[in-house]
Amino acid sequence: MNFTEKQISLFRTLSIIAGIFTMIIAFTMIMSLIQLKSSDPLSSPALVAVYEQFDRDPDNTVNAEYVRSLDLIARKAYFTARWQLEAGSYLLVIGAALFVLFRWLTYSNEPLIRTKLSPRPVLSENQNRNRRYLIISASAVVVLAVISSFILRPLMPDPGRTKSESVAAVSPKGGIPQPDEINFPFFRGAGSRGIAGGEGYPVNWNGNSGENIRWKIPVPKHGKSSPVIWRDKIFLTGSEGSDLEIYCIDKNTGNILWTGSGSDFPGASEEIPESDQEAGMAVPTPAVAEGVVCAIFGNGNLLAFDHDGKQLWATNLGVPEHMYGYSSSLLIWSDILIVQYDSDTRLAVMGFDLKTGKIKWETPRRGRAVNSSPVLASFDGIPQIIINGSPDVTAFEASTGKELWTIPGVKNDVAVSPGINKDYVYISANYEKLIAIKAGKNPVVAWEDNTYTPDVSSPAATDEFLFIADGTGGIACYDAAGSKILWENYFSEPFYASPVVADGKVYYLDRKGTMHIVKAAGSYELISQPELGEDADCTPAFSEKRIYIRGINNLYCISND
Amino acid sequence: MFRKFSRIIPYLLTGLMFIGHSVLYAQQQMRYPRPEFETDYTYPEYQYIYQRSPVWEYIDVAVLIAALTLTSWLVLKKRWRQGIVWVSLFSLAYFGFYRQGCICAVGSVQNVSLALFNSDYSMPLVALLFFLLPLGFALFSGRVFCAGVCPLGAIQELTAFRQVKVNPKVEAVLGSIPFVYLGLAVLFSATGSQFIICRYDPFVGIFRLGAPYTMVIFGSLLLITGIFVNRPYCRYLCPYGVLLNIFSRFSYRHLSITPAECINCRRCEPSCPYGAINVSDKAGENELTVKPSTVRLLYPFLIIFIALSLGLIAYNTAPLLAGVNKNVMLAREIRLEKETGIKAESEAALAFRESATPEEELFAEELIVIKRFRAGAPLVGIFLGLSLGIGFYRRMTRLPRTEYEPDRGRCISCGKCFRYCPVKPN
Repeated sequence: MNFTEKQISLFRTLSIIAGIFTMIIAFTMIMSLIQLKSSDPLSSPALVAVYEQFDRDPDNTVNAEYVRSLDLIARKAYFTARWQLEAGSYLLVIGAALFVLFRWLTYSNEPLIRTKLSPRPVLSENQNRNRRYLIISASAVVVLAVISSFILRPLMPDPGRTKSESVAAVSPKGGIPQPDEINFPFFRGAGSRGIAGGEGYPVNWNGNSGENIRWKIPVPKHGKSSPVIWRDKIFLTGSEGSDLEIYCIDKNTGNILWTGSGSDFPGASEEIPESDQEAGMAVPTPAVAEGVVCAIFGNGNLLAFDHDGKQLWATNLGVPEHMYGYSSSLLIWSDILIVQYDSDTRLAVMGFDLKTGKIKWETPRRGRAVNSSPVLASFDGIPQIIINGSPDVTAFEASTGKELWTIPGVKNDVAVSPGINKDYVYISANYEKLIAIKAGKNPVVAWEDNTYTPDVSSPAATDEFLFIADGTGGIACYDAAGSKILWENYFSEPFYASPVVADGKVYYLDRKGTMHIVKAAGSYELISQPELGEDADCTPAFSEKRIYIRGINNLYCISND
Repeated sequence: MFRKFSRIIPYLLTGLMFIGHSVLYAQQQMRYPRPEFETDYTYPEYQYIYQRSPVWEYIDVAVLIAALTLTSWLVLKKRWRQGIVWVSLFSLAYFGFYRQGCICAVGSVQNVSLALFNSDYSMPLVALLFFLLPLGFALFSGRVFCAGVCPLGAIQELTAFRQVKVNPKVEAVLGSIPFVYLGLAVLFSATGSQFIICRYDPFVGIFRLGAPYTMVIFGSLLLITGIFVNRPYCRYLCPYGVLLNIFSRFSYRHLSITPAECINCRRCEPSCPYGAINVSDKAGENELTVKPSTVRLLYPFLIIFIALSLGLIAYNTAPLLAGVNKNVMLAREIRLEKETGIKAESEAALAFRESATPEEELFAEELIVIKRFRAGAPLVGIFLGLSLGIGFYRRMTRLPRTEYEPDRGRCISCGKCFRYCPVKPN
C-alpha cells in the first residue's frame, strides 16, 4: 500500500511517541519491580515494632486493633503495587505493539529492491580467512585448556569437605590415633582401646607412705570420670549436685591451672536426673585433642574449651533418662567429636564439629540405653566407631555416622565398652557372655565364652591376647583368636576400672585402689601389687613414664623419679 | 479490496486475539487479590482443577503434523509467502496463545536429554513426537518448522519488517551462542538440574500473560529488536535451531530462491533478513586457492585438538557449572556457613535445617551431582569444539558457488525471497 509523505511523517512521529511511551513504561516497571522485590511489608520496621509491642501485652485490644489496621494498610499497599505492575505490563505490550505497527506503516513504502548491493565475495579470500580462524581458534583453545587446568582445578574444593577438613591431620593406619608416649586423650587412651604408649612405667608405689607418689591433689568435686592427658595437661570433671566443673591440671606439678564451669552457658540444664546419685553427673570421661577439650555431664550439658580454659562452645543435648545415669565417654576422630547418646527416650550417635559445636551428623540407634562408651577402630580401611549396645553391636563410619554393620550382641544391662585389636571386637555384659566378633563388612561371631563376663570393666586386647577383669575380682587372659583361657586368677576385690596394657604389662586397678600388675603374656606372671591407699573406680592414664590415677577423693601422679 | 488490506489482516487478527486473551485474563484478575473477610468465613480447603483430556495431546500432534505438511507444500510446491504467513499466524494462535507455548519442540530437547540420562524419568510420547517430527520434516523439506509452525518464530515474524544487515563476523560470533545454549541446556537437564530453555523462554510470558516480569520485558525488547535484526531469538539463541540446522543440511528437498535456473541477476541478495543466502562467488575468481595437499590433511587434527581442548575446559569448569543444581547450591551455602559463619538464610537452607537431614547426606549428594557434571561437561565441550572446527573447515574447503542458493542450515524457509526472483517457473 502507498501512503503520502505527510502520512509517512505522521506514522513516524506516532511511532516515536509510542517508542518513548514504551521506554518510559518499561523503566517505571523496572523501578517498581525492584521496589517490590526489595520490600517485604511484613518486615517493615514500623510493623515489626508494633508487633513487638503487641507481643508484650497481647491482651491490650487497642494494640490489637492498631496491629490489624497497620497490617491491612501494608498489605493493601503491597497489592496495589502489584496491580500497578500488572497494569504496566499491559501498557508496555500495547505501547510496543503500537510502535511496531507505526514503524511497519512507515516502512511500507520502501522499494523492493535497494540499488546499492554489497560487493561479491572472493572465494580465495574467504578460504584463507577461515583457515586462519581455524588455526587461531585451535591455538587459543589449547592455551585456555592448559591455563584452566592449572588455575581452575586446584581452586575447586572437594565437595563435602570444609577447609578445616582439608587440612586436618589424619592419623596413620586408616585414620585411627595410635597410642603414643605423651598423650592419653580418651577414656582408656588413644582410640579408647586400653593400650598405652611409652615405656618405663612404675610398678611400685604406695599411696600411704608416698613412695613414688610424685604429687597428690584433692579433686575439688566428686566424679567417676577418668583423667585424660594432652601434652602437659590433665583434664577431668567433677560435680556436686547441679554444679558441674572441668579441671585442667599441670601434669608435672599437680597445680590446677583452671576450672571451667559445665553449667554456665545459655541453654544449660540445671536438672539433676533421677539416676545413681552416688555416681553423680561427672561420670563420662572428657576427650582432648590439640587445642580443645570436650566434656559431657549426666544432664546432657556438652562443652568445649581450649587448653587455656576459654569456653569455645556449649550446648545441651537434652537430659538423658537413664536408670544408672548417663556415663558414655567422649571420643574425637579427626575434627569430629563423637557422642554416644543414650537415653530411654532416644538413642543416637552424633558427630559434632570440634571447633564450632555444630552437629555434623546424627544417626539413630536401636535397642535400649546402655552405659558403655564408644571405641575407635579401623576395619577394611574405614575408620569406624564401635558401640556395644543392647541388643546389637554396631559400627558407624567415623566421618559420616553411616551405619556400617551390626550384629546381635548382648541384651542385659550393658556397661562394658568393646575391646579392639586388628581383627576382632570383644564385647560382654554381666551374667551373659563374652563374644569375639570377626569385624568387617560381613561380621561374624568368632567365638563366645561365659566364664568371665565383666560388668563394668572393659576388656583390653592386643593382637595376641585378650585381658579381662570382672566384678567378682577375677582376671583372665584369652587367646585373642580363640576362646581358650590362657591364664586366670582371682583377687578379693572387684574391678570397675578397665585394664590398661602398657610397656608389656597389664595394669589391673581394683576398687580398693590396689594395682595388680601382670605380665602381658600367655602365661600368668604377677609383677607387683602396689596400693594407692584410697578406693578407686577410674581407669588410670599413662604418659611419659608416669601413671595418673583418680581415687575417690584425690588425683595421684605416680612416677619412678 | 481484499488484496489491498490482506497484508495487515494478520496483524489485525493477532491484535484481536491478544485483546480477547487479555479480556479473559483481566476478568480473572479482577478477582485478585481475594477479599479479606472480617467475619468467620474461611475459604474452602480444596479446589479442583479439571485436567485436560489426554486426547487433546494427540490432537496437538495431529495439528503439528498438519501444519508441518502444509508449510512444506507452501514452501516447496506452491512457493507462496502469504500462505506461509497464514500458517504461521495459525501456529501462533494455536501453539502460542491457546496452548500457551507448552509443549513446544524447542523445550522438548530437555525432556529427551533428561530421559536419556535418567532412568527415573519417563518421557511422554507427545513430547517425543514434538521433538522428532520437526527434525523428520527438516530431513525431508528443510526448516519448515521454523517457517510456519514454531510459535516463537511466528511472533517474531510479525515484527520483522525492517532489515538491518548484520556484519557477517558479528553474525558468525552471535550465531555460535545457540550451540553453547544447546550444550548447556542438555547438560543441565541431563543432570536433573534445570530446564533453562523453558525457564528463559522470552515469549511464553506474552503467551500466558503471566511470567516473571523480567522475562516479559526481555521478550518485548526482543520483539522490538526484531524489527531491525529480524528473528533475533531464532538466529542467536534458539537451541533447537541447532538441531534443525544440522538436519536440514541433509534434507532431501529444500526451498530454492529461483523456481528454475538461477540467472545471477543479484535481485535476491537483499531479500533475506537472516543472511541465509549463499551468494555466488565473484566471477572469474572461482578457483580453489587451497589446493589439496598433505598439509590440508592436518586440518582435521586441528579440529580434534579444538574439540579435546574445549572438552578439557568444560571438565575443569564442571564444578562451577554444577552450581546451578539446587542441591549443590544448598551444600555450598551450608558449607560457607560452617567455614565463615555467614548464616545460611535462604528458604532452602531453612527447610534443610528443619528437616534435620545430616549434612553429610547433602554433601554426598553434592558430590554425586558434581561427578555427573564432570562426566557430561566434557561431552558438551567436545560437541562445541567439533561444531566450531567443522564450521571453519567447511568454509575453508567449500567448492565455488556459481549461483544464488539458500544456506541449507541457516535458511528457515520463510519464503521472503520468492517475490524478488524474476525467473518464472518452467
